[in-house]
Amino acid sequence: MEKVRSPKNIFVQGPILPEKIAQSIANHATKTDIGGHSIFLGQIRADEKPEGKVIAIEYTCYEEMALEKAFEIREEIFAKYPLTCMHIYHSLGEIKVGEICLFVFTSSKHRKAAMQACDELVERIKAELPIWGKEILDSSATQWKVNT
Amino acid sequence: MPDQIRLKAFGMLAEKIGTDSLEIENPGSSEALRRQLLQQFPSLQTLTFRMAVDRKIIQAETDISAGQEIALLPPFSGG
Repeated sequence: MEKVRSPKNIFVQGPILPEKIAQSIANHATKTDIGGHSIFLGQIRADEKPEGKVIAIEYTCYEEMALEKAFEIREEIFAKYPLTCMHIYHSLGEIKVGEICLFVFTSSKHRKAAMQACDELVERIKAELPIWGKEILDSSATQWKVNT
Repeated sequence: MPDQIRLKAFGMLAEKIGTDSLEIENPGSSEALRRQLLQQFPSLQTLTFRMAVDRKIIQAETDISAGQEIALLPPFSGG
């Protein structure tokens, strides 16, 4: 039977914990048609800026639009690649240096679909989801992050 | 109730105008709204931003009708 998908929440308040990632991997043990997973983890980097060193990033979003857009991207990626599973989690609020703020997880029968879909998802998430990061510096100054 | 629209502002843009939401009289189109905003908040003149009407980014000048939700979106920086 064709599965009907509906928009689901991708946002997590605070950092994405390594335990959650491990649990998410473990949850796929029963899906025995999977032959490969691809995982991308975004981590907060201690960038050195002229005004100080980044110690955290505070994320905010336009939630309703972000969830609609994430759903659209999800459907397009499912249509393009033969995937078994896809999971997207993005943090909101203050995430400290070294913590995980983005978790993208794709699974398929064979590795290439999972890897290509994961890569494309990360690119589209960064370019198309209305999310903003404000860098908090050790000088207690702040500045808005610019995606490169 | 006159012809009002709801504006939502995000990120750096919300910081510049000092609020993340406001109700204003409908200027009628996206370009008229942009002109009005730049006049009312001169600090926006140096910012790049796009607009979304009812959660869809607009690519060209668009008519705005009463009750619509308009969002002012500075460049995204998620991930």
